[in-house]
Amino acid sequence: MKRTIAALAAAAAFTVSASIAGAQGYPERNITMVVPFSAGGPTDTVTRLVAESMSKDLGRQIIVENVGGAGGTLGAGRVANADPDGYTLLLHHIGMATSATLYRKLPYDTLNAFDYVGLVTDVPMTIVARKDFEPQDLKGLIEYVKANPDKVTLANAGIGAASHLCGMMFMNAIKTPLVTVPYKGTGPAMTDLLGGQVDIMCDQTTNTTKQIQAGTIKAYAVTSPEKLEVLPNVPTASEAGLPDFVVGIWHGIYAPKGTPPEVTAKLSAALQKALKDPNVVARFAELGTIPATDAEATPEGLKAKLETEVARWKPVIDGAGQYAD
Amino acid sequence: MRGFSINGRDGLCAAIFILLGVFFAMQSLGMELGTAFRMGPGYFPLVLAGFLILLGLIILVQATQYAAEPVGPIAWRGMFFILPAPIVFGLTVRGLGFVPAVFLTAMIAAFASSRMKPGIALLLVSGLTIFSVIVFSYALGLPFRRFGPWLD
Amino acid sequence: MDLFNNLALGFSTAASPWNLLFCFTGVMLGTLIGVLPGIGATATIAMLLPITFQLEPVSSLIMLAGIYYGAQYGGSTTAILINMPGESSSAVTAIDGYQMARQGRAGVALATAAIGSFFAGTVSTFLVAIFAPPLTSIALKFGAAEYFSLMVVGLISSIALAHGSVIKALAMVVLGLLLGLVGTDINTGTPRFILGIRDLSDGLNFVAMAVGVFGVAEILRNLENEQTRSVMIKKVTGLLPTREDFRRMAAPILRGTALGSALGILPGGGAILASFASYTVEKRVSKHPQTFGKGAIEGVAGPEAANNAGAQTSFIPMLTLGIPANPVMALMIGAMIIQGIVPGPNVATEQPALFWGIIASMWIGNLMLIVLNLPMIGLWVKLLTIPYYVLFPIILAFCSIGVYSVNSNVFDLYSVAFFGLIGYVLVKLHCEPAPLLLGFVLGPLLEENLRRAMIISRGDATVFFTRPISATLLAIALAVLVIVLLPSINRKREEIFVED
Repeated sequence: MKRTIAALAAAAAFTVSASIAGAQGYPERNITMVVPFSAGGPTDTVTRLVAESMSKDLGRQIIVENVGGAGGTLGAGRVANADPDGYTLLLHHIGMATSATLYRKLPYDTLNAFDYVGLVTDVPMTIVARKDFEPQDLKGLIEYVKANPDKVTLANAGIGAASHLCGMMFMNAIKTPLVTVPYKGTGPAMTDLLGGQVDIMCDQTTNTTKQIQAGTIKAYAVTSPEKLEVLPNVPTASEAGLPDFVVGIWHGIYAPKGTPPEVTAKLSAALQKALKDPNVVARFAELGTIPATDAEATPEGLKAKLETEVARWKPVIDGAGQYAD
Repeated sequence: MRGFSINGRDGLCAAIFILLGVFFAMQSLGMELGTAFRMGPGYFPLVLAGFLILLGLIILVQATQYAAEPVGPIAWRGMFFILPAPIVFGLTVRGLGFVPAVFLTAMIAAFASSRMKPGIALLLVSGLTIFSVIVFSYALGLPFRRFGPWLD
Repeated sequence: MDLFNNLALGFSTAASPWNLLFCFTGVMLGTLIGVLPGIGATATIAMLLPITFQLEPVSSLIMLAGIYYGAQYGGSTTAILINMPGESSSAVTAIDGYQMARQGRAGVALATAAIGSFFAGTVSTFLVAIFAPPLTSIALKFGAAEYFSLMVVGLISSIALAHGSVIKALAMVVLGLLLGLVGTDINTGTPRFILGIRDLSDGLNFVAMAVGVFGVAEILRNLENEQTRSVMIKKVTGLLPTREDFRRMAAPILRGTALGSALGILPGGGAILASFASYTVEKRVSKHPQTFGKGAIEGVAGPEAANNAGAQTSFIPMLTLGIPANPVMALMIGAMIIQGIVPGPNVATEQPALFWGIIASMWIGNLMLIVLNLPMIGLWVKLLTIPYYVLFPIILAFCSIGVYSVNSNVFDLYSVAFFGLIGYVLVKLHCEPAPLLLGFVLGPLLEENLRRAMIISRGDATVFFTRPISATLLAIALAVLVIVLLPSINRKREEIFVED
């Protein structure tokens, strides 16, 4: 017992000294930004775009490290336990909030294990269907689904995926359970939607925009508060008959708890600049994602977002009764 | 009836398959099985585990029909040094850093051979470490720390 | 003619000095990293992704594609030389390629792999160019029922991978299937067989497993009688294939190309079957199937051709639909997005220079690979004459780095050690690892598609027989089963007493 206390004290002393040393002249070396998903996915893409731009401002390279696994919780757990010196950061999406409920045993405490840098972007979702699916608009879809609840198949990319969350939210909103067809990842789910093997899906614009523009799938609504420039003919869910149905795959940058506030402040300043970088703005626009405002790209902005989202998703996930562990 | 004989190698093989089959079957039974139409997580593995047990039994029966063969030498020294090598890499790469981890891993592995002399080992392992650092750390830019926090 | 104009545009794009340079850099890097054991194409591209951000989109994609087939090429080299496959396709090459190497025919095996890959690459590049759109619409007809039936064909064929006891091979396939199911069940989120280890929740790592059961086990086996064997092979006979070798490899390469091209188009995991399927076919049509597993050149030529053809045609779903067929394609899509090109069905019309440039560069890259690698064969073979006790510490260090670099997860390294032990036990028990790996790859696909088909059909099991493509595939599976079992029953007694 004595030894444990001594070790803890030593660790705490070490952490504090490391933090103090780290705050002056930060960053003195390269920063690692952990993405809790595999390389090449939408979150990885967002991270690389932002990290690249933030590197220029900070004067040190931000190296992206992919630590995939367990719906993002492995990577988040890694960062939660890292030294809080500002050299290990985490870029995670909405899964940060939903895994707090989806996983009953998490190796970290979602709301208390992290410090915040800021919100990065909010990727809207689209409710889409195979191109020869009968209903013509969202109202029609809802009526059709309510009339034939076990005839309509809803694809998702696996538990915890954006499409799974949005699907749950949709079923919750229309109060009708559907036959869900899970896939391993968005790729195969989209393939089956294109091939007409499944009926509907709700997925990020990152994955659906080009298909909608090409007319290979049908779009009923976007889940953002405003219409999207890249999809001018697709109404928002509120306009099309589902009031207050707003779902976005928001991304935020986190640091381990105990990171000096000067460091997080410096990082969020760099983030705000990156979000105005014309290259980042242009890429985000092509993907149909919305960069965070200066107010959102702050530690307070992200903290508030995380807290509201944890509270918002808890009843939805508990209602569906399906957990990831 | 003549004396019971069994081919030890196949007998062991069968035993392993059967035991693994039983393990997977028991784990599967602890999960929701569902129906053939709406299969639960335990359904498919349970079927497979049953099949594995069956195949193990067939191998067991066959093993009793022909005599034992020698198993041949076993690389005890090899196992003692080779298998820990990647484990040591895993234990040290984050703490000690990339450079010491590579050095230790190769050093341990080198001693798996009775022909390896300490001098040659040191030379080989040092050269290998330098090469790896140049290729992986500098040229490819892998996100590893060369020297980890334990050495700070 | 449209095609001609398109190809002309493609070649003029790909053959610009700048792009040629990047194509060359890509295949060089790919080959170099591919030969390092444990690192496959996916890890390589993930590592090099940031480098490409500074380049023009076309150049960067040409380079990434080059890394992809370069790494696959290099992966075969490692499989042949040291029995260390980096991915499922080269696991098949390792079976006979490594045996050839042990017999002093490593040069021939490497040359065969190179020639087979080049031929397949050439044919399938033109297939991609001419038939991409119609082939895509066929691929979209494959739903869950079809994929399930396809996997059944693959599984049944896998019995032919064994050169010892058929029953043991079957048991290994089943064990592989079970190991493939370790991890989180995607339908319900239930963790299965993970024994409370969170790192297992996404399943066992294929690379760690392949490196363990093939490579580490082989190192252990070589350490058994060290006193009698200090280098891997005593004499090297002939670096290049003889006239007889060429005669024997021709038909397998043709068949492998056809099979690989067809399977590669299917985005739901067809390509991983390509090399396994080709091996099965070759063993069945061969007049001397008993040489398979003991250094049959057909067992290298066919699968290598199939693998490369499949790798090329797996670009089709990505280029025409914007859908990744495998993790490498997912990375390429990520790279495109970062470059400001969102892949989708319209890439061919919106970005013709990019689309056709990539296709043309595939052929150029394959040409570069063969030109680059044939002279290297002598060098590679020399590696085998290095004393073994010098070679294996190097192999182990590279494996450890390679496996760790994929996911930065130390658990994967523990898996290498664990599967090394398992692999060695299996070798001692005369159980072969190739069927295990095939089962492992197919396990999740088989289960997922079975359950998905049942959900979509609302529990109607007849879908497998009423959907024409699925029914045809099941008929093929049945035919294969009959063909495979008949001769093996007759031969069983002899095979049991086959000495290694």
